[in-house]
Amino acid sequence: MYISIQDLCFSYPDTNRAAVDHFSLTIGKGEVVSILGKSGSGKSTILRLLAGLEKPSKGSLCIQENVVFDDKVFLAPEKRGIGMVFQDYALFPHMTVQDNIKFGLSHLKKEEKKKRIQEVLELVELEDYGNRYPHQLSGGQQQRVAIARAIAPNPHLILLDEPFSNLDAELQVKIRKELRDILKKANITSIFVTHDENDAFALADWIIKLKDGRIDAMGRPCDLLGASRPSEIRQQEPELVGV
Amino acid sequence: MKKALLLVLTIALAVLSACGNETATKDEPNNQAKEAEESKEVNLYTARHYDVDDQLYKKFEENTGIKVNVIKGEADELLERIKREGDASQADVFLTADAGRLFRAKDEGLLQSVTSDLLDEQVPENFQDDDQMWYGLTKRARVIVYNKETVKPEELSTYEALTDDKWKGRVLIRSSENIYNQSLLASFIETNGEEKAKDWAAGLVDNFARDPEGGDRDQAKAIAAGIGDVAIMNTYYLGQMLNSEDPEEVKVAESLGIFFPNQETTGTHVNVSGAGVVKSAKNKDNAIQLLEFLSSPEAQGQFAEANYEYPVNDSVEPTELLKSWGEFKEQDIPLSVLGDNNAKAILIFNEVGWK
Amino acid sequence: MLRVKRNKGFLVEELGCWTVQRKLSNVNAWTVSAVIIMALLFLPNLTIVSGIFSPSNDNWAHMKEFVLGSFIKTSLILIGATGFLTIAIGLSLAWLIAQYQFPLRNFLKWALVLPLSIPPFIGAYTYHGIFNYTGVIQTTLRDGFGKDLNPAYFDIMNIPGAVFIYTLFLYPYVYSITRIFLSQQSASLIESARMLGKGPVNIFFQVVIPISRVAIIGGSSLVVLEVLNDYGVVKYYGIQTFTTGIFQSWFGLGDIETSIKLAASLMGFVIFILMAEKLLRGRRQYNYSTTKVRPLPLIRLKGWKAFMATGYGLLILSLGFLIPVVQLIDWTILTFGTIPTEEFLIYVKNSVTVAGISATVIIIFALIVGNFSRLVHGKAAKLLPKLTILGYSIPGAVIAVAVVTAFIGLDGFLAPLYRLLGVDHTLVLSVSLAMLISAYIIRFFAIGYNSIESGYDKIGTDFRDASRLLGVGLTKTFFRIDVPMLKGAIVSGFILVFIDVLKEIPLTLILRPFNFDTLSTKAFQYASDEKIMEASQASLVIVGISALAIVVFYKFLEKEPE
Repeated sequence: MYISIQDLCFSYPDTNRAAVDHFSLTIGKGEVVSILGKSGSGKSTILRLLAGLEKPSKGSLCIQENVVFDDKVFLAPEKRGIGMVFQDYALFPHMTVQDNIKFGLSHLKKEEKKKRIQEVLELVELEDYGNRYPHQLSGGQQQRVAIARAIAPNPHLILLDEPFSNLDAELQVKIRKELRDILKKANITSIFVTHDENDAFALADWIIKLKDGRIDAMGRPCDLLGASRPSEIRQQEPELVGV
Repeated sequence: MKKALLLVLTIALAVLSACGNETATKDEPNNQAKEAEESKEVNLYTARHYDVDDQLYKKFEENTGIKVNVIKGEADELLERIKREGDASQADVFLTADAGRLFRAKDEGLLQSVTSDLLDEQVPENFQDDDQMWYGLTKRARVIVYNKETVKPEELSTYEALTDDKWKGRVLIRSSENIYNQSLLASFIETNGEEKAKDWAAGLVDNFARDPEGGDRDQAKAIAAGIGDVAIMNTYYLGQMLNSEDPEEVKVAESLGIFFPNQETTGTHVNVSGAGVVKSAKNKDNAIQLLEFLSSPEAQGQFAEANYEYPVNDSVEPTELLKSWGEFKEQDIPLSVLGDNNAKAILIFNEVGWK
Repeated sequence: MLRVKRNKGFLVEELGCWTVQRKLSNVNAWTVSAVIIMALLFLPNLTIVSGIFSPSNDNWAHMKEFVLGSFIKTSLILIGATGFLTIAIGLSLAWLIAQYQFPLRNFLKWALVLPLSIPPFIGAYTYHGIFNYTGVIQTTLRDGFGKDLNPAYFDIMNIPGAVFIYTLFLYPYVYSITRIFLSQQSASLIESARMLGKGPVNIFFQVVIPISRVAIIGGSSLVVLEVLNDYGVVKYYGIQTFTTGIFQSWFGLGDIETSIKLAASLMGFVIFILMAEKLLRGRRQYNYSTTKVRPLPLIRLKGWKAFMATGYGLLILSLGFLIPVVQLIDWTILTFGTIPTEEFLIYVKNSVTVAGISATVIIIFALIVGNFSRLVHGKAAKLLPKLTILGYSIPGAVIAVAVVTAFIGLDGFLAPLYRLLGVDHTLVLSVSLAMLISAYIIRFFAIGYNSIESGYDKIGTDFRDASRLLGVGLTKTFFRIDVPMLKGAIVSGFILVFIDVLKEIPLTLILRPFNFDTLSTKAFQYASDEKIMEASQASLVIVGISALAIVVFYKFLEKEPE
């Protein structure tokens, strides 16, 4: 398998409860996986662990059979080749869109950089916005820049933390579709966390339901959430349906 | 990337050491000169910082070719610094405006005994340390100042008399934190004994017109403002006020009379500013020359006059202003007791609640 | 699910790589530098901490019996009253400026920091000069109107007077830190409160105060420490505080043990306050990590409200800056020419040099330590940097002695090196400016660190994480992301330290090399001889340079897009 997470455990200091409890998962190349759960279920923590922003108490991550972390190895975040789109994007306010994207491309030559920036901007359909500053963009545009920035260095894996939480509903539906197209077009393996079943349903190849840091259910969207569009059950917080 | 961080640290260190070097190189010519010939400088730690002092140091350099390097500071802190620097100290001369501190410097073994015929000639014996560890350079008297309109000089006699009920709510004096008050009480411990001195302090506190605040000048102003009628203060502050640029201050000073207390008994309290040669002095000869110069007739006039103090050198006349206040009998006690009794004085102040 | 199969060679390679990795790890480089810096800042304080364990002697018993109680009481009153008033004034002004548009707002925005340019002891002398019997107010009443009012009404040499002085000249600490926080961080919170139908008064008490708590505590703890540490004002006003006790036992009783014991108690008190603040804060993180830094749109005030806002700002500015400056100018004119003026340029150069170097080093150190504190998890990493603030709580003279001792030790240690270099005397560093500057750094690190720390708090960690996930290491991230984003905090920290060093007295007096005068030593020299009018010239230049620094930096900041 392309990505293999084994037995991941983590608890925050000063707490007894495990935030992530024996979490294991494998992902094939180019697949989009959604981790679905209520807030506090540990889903964002998993992303931070994979990214290297927190240190797991136990467990391992291998990408293409290379160890990213286990009980002996711990690669620094910048050495992992993992991209991330933050909940509120974390676009560097003192840099233009171009510079934000260029930031992750320091290993490329100048010409290649230019080309790559152009490519990813085209991918997210923001060719004409290269010279804008983040605060001059709308929320949707900012999000697309964040995705472009994360994709640009060609990471093995992209992590998206509640990618739609800051967007209005109409935009959400539109961007959901776009995002799936972008990810699929770029053939990038990705994990995104969300609390919204609609997001998961529309975007993911696989869905993991997480409860108290543990996997509660796992499967294809149609299997897991039923064939019916989940928007009908959206009114009330959906109870988990077993596989 | 680690390099970048190291670079930052290196720059920080370089900046620090650069400013270290700057002064080091500045000193360099002097140091080499020191080796080549007899040293041509003297290092002075002084707690006196009048502008006229600097002019005198310049004059000294013109006369002798010896450069005076100065660190000005507060007496106690300078003493502490000399102590910490120990044998390596660069200080040659310690100059301060209170005999108590000179005593303390001696007591802690920071000074050395120096003899010079010229010094003996210029500084009267009672203004020298018993062991010639320090020499007085100027005199200041702590006197009673009164409101000319409400107080007749005949009503005044001694410091002790100010504790009479008659003066209830009329006496002004600054806080006990001040060294002049500490030395005053220390002198009473010598002349009257500890018990009586304590009674005096307690009695004076009972007669305070207000809680002590401000400096000596502020006591004078408080008389003019009618808050109290008499104040204990140093003469030279009145001299400064009479010569102030501010006409209002001159007006205040002119409304005040000056009274030298205890003329029939123990004499008016006198303190000195003075200097001693530091034990580890590297330029001892130059240091002695500096003391000789500062007590010489040439310097004494200016040295004392600038601050309306009395010269110690008998051959030098006080200024017209000081003469107009008249001559007076001084306390006849060895000045070193001021330092001896200083701690006792502070404890008494605390006990009687003199803020 | 696929098990990772590793052959032995691969494992060894990875392990080897890990050890190297560990040695060169950026986190560790930052940790090492930060720990070294903190150790340097702590070391002198250790002499004092050790004093708390020394056995008590007669002097200690005497002080405890007669004076300590009243010293502590007075200190607490001064701290409490000054703390409350500086928060009230600083916060209200910060909120007005951050949220409203009214006449002169853009001017007041930076002008309200100007009172910081006046050293409290000069402010104290100046206000006493204005209010006393020969001062302009009483003289005018007396001579102009023939009114002879009770002079006691004008007496400011008491505890309320000292609180008045401290408040006027120290409130900018609270104001500047809170204003920057409010104008950059609070937009969404305040707007949402508005949307919830809250009026301005409710917003102020229910939203502004709670969310600015970190900034308020940061600013007011500087004020409290400054008050605890001040000697000039209380000495002149005849108020006996804890610091008085330290000096009394040291210099008066010649008992340095008792004075160090007192200083150590003071330090204990400061640690207690810092801990209490930490405990109150608990696990709550106070970065509202919305990474969209959005300025708060201003509400335009009209009519009497605008008039009141402008009037309030101008009143504080007048009391804290304009009035004292006019008085200083008046005195300077009266005494002009009585003091040799040609040397002034040298004093200015000396002052600016030491202040500039110290501020630069402090900011660099603060950036390193601040970065360490947010990189490394755990309580120690959060608490240790807080403790460097202790340098700020100890009276300057006590720090001076600790620094002299340390430098003489250092010189002894380096003596062989000096001999090697052909330097003939044994004291090199301890007679150089390096000693003075080191003391400044120990003393004022807290000022710079506070500013930098709140800057780090404000930008949070998402930007840093984003950068690292784009393959950029910690150190590069620091220079390319953190430093540019911290620009505001760096500049304001620099100004605060610069001005503080410019005003500093006891350290400069004790630790300076030969023939080294600064503006503040010159001003103090005259003031301590009760020649306040002669002191006005140097004071005025201090105020002028500080004010200029404030203006220049604010203009610079305004040009930058926020």
